[in-house]
Amino acid sequence: MRELIDFLTTFGAIVENGLLTLKYIVTFQINFRELMDQCVRFGISSLPITLSIVGMTSLIVTSQVASEMVKQGGGNFVGLLISILIVREVGAIMSGFAIISMIGSSLASEIATMRVTEQIDAVRVLKVDPIRYLFVPRVLSGIIMMPIIVVIASAFGIIAGGVTTAMTTELGYRAYFDSVWLGIYMKDLGVCLLKSLCFGGTIALISCACGYQATGGAKGVGLATTKAVVWSFVAIVIWDMIFAIAFFF
Amino acid sequence: MSIKVRNLTKSFDGKNVLDNISFEVNDGETLAIVGFSGSGKSTVLKLICGLIEKDSGDIITSEGDVAMVFQYSALFDSLNVADNISFALRERRDLKNKYSEDELKKIVSQKLELVGLKGIERKFPSELSGGMQKRVSFARAIVTEPRTILYDEPTAGLDPISSTLIEDYIVRLQQETNAASIVVTHQMSTITRTANKLIMLYNGKIVFAGTPEEMLRQDNEYTKQFVTASLDGPMHMLS
Repeated sequence: MRELIDFLTTFGAIVENGLLTLKYIVTFQINFRELMDQCVRFGISSLPITLSIVGMTSLIVTSQVASEMVKQGGGNFVGLLISILIVREVGAIMSGFAIISMIGSSLASEIATMRVTEQIDAVRVLKVDPIRYLFVPRVLSGIIMMPIIVVIASAFGIIAGGVTTAMTTELGYRAYFDSVWLGIYMKDLGVCLLKSLCFGGTIALISCACGYQATGGAKGVGLATTKAVVWSFVAIVIWDMIFAIAFFF
Repeated sequence: MSIKVRNLTKSFDGKNVLDNISFEVNDGETLAIVGFSGSGKSTVLKLICGLIEKDSGDIITSEGDVAMVFQYSALFDSLNVADNISFALRERRDLKNKYSEDELKKIVSQKLELVGLKGIERKFPSELSGGMQKRVSFARAIVTEPRTILYDEPTAGLDPISSTLIEDYIVRLQQETNAASIVVTHQMSTITRTANKLIMLYNGKIVFAGTPEEMLRQDNEYTKQFVTASLDGPMHMLS
């Protein structure tokens, strides 16, 4: 019963804070200085880990399928398969996981610490809306930066697939990249961008909302961070499922 | 009348933390609120500045801002001292764009001078001692020229000399702003050096109201127990 109440409370807080954040974004009440700081944090600091994860995933998949495809006479389609896989799925979801562990956890613990050290109370006493000051730049930076990160990470993943193919089979770079273009559709790119935009906003919103709900001391910060990571993971998988059903069923 | 509290009641999880309390603080006066830990002292401050909702009663404050100095300063650790102090002037919707960068710099410098900390604008809270952080939080609190200033255990965790310095600044800010102030404290020196009047809370009720001098006379069994720090008396630690 306690778990159910906790679930509903968290869900309610995410929806309520999300609607307020949306209201401020739509009415253009944005702190641009803070937005720039958050974009740098979201984008630059998370890029190395995101590239590593997407690159290594591509390497793992390619090393297992490329030689098999060449053996079965489908060598000309290795690039096509990898590009479809990365653009439709791996680029966005793996970047999402990397962003959750790198940025989501950091946002949640930052805001939770502000909560338990009364910094958020101080914001309120100074008559500044914490949602406008804390949520809006963070959520907006997620929405802006996530598609950029996913595009860069996906390109890196496709290149990593090409390198792996060249190293593990007799297929050359040219054959691989010739078929890459066959697997990149405008629709897939559009869905990928839309999906990553939703992922970015959702991760930032859930992380901020979980941090904002924190109570107690260090333990409260830890619990809020864990909750943010778990909720974000589940949320982006649900988003991914919704997009798969909506566009590829 | 700067702060008027009438029949204020607040409970948490069915437990009455404040039970029908009333008091007044005039402009230029400082009221000390004392009592055991958990007796509802900080709750009074949070109700006055609107951080929590009252169950019933009235809280009337003069027009103008209510400022609060938090127990552990609550400075924004991602902002430097200057940005902490000018935070409300930069972020509040009614004050945003009212001041130029030069004006903001001047205001920050003036407020820092008032708390004896000129020249630390670019330092971050983590680079400051506890006493300095507290003084920066004073400067942040008074930046909007508030008519009411609330101090939540302003000398908690400070050494005796830093505590004396903080008490001096409370008095100085009082003289500069003529605001109505409330100081929540356990320390006798803070009470005697800063307050004009005092209330003692126990079990959600006011068990003594008077001046610090009257409290020191120990005519009341509650104040006697508090001043002598005795375990024997009408007050028992809340379990």
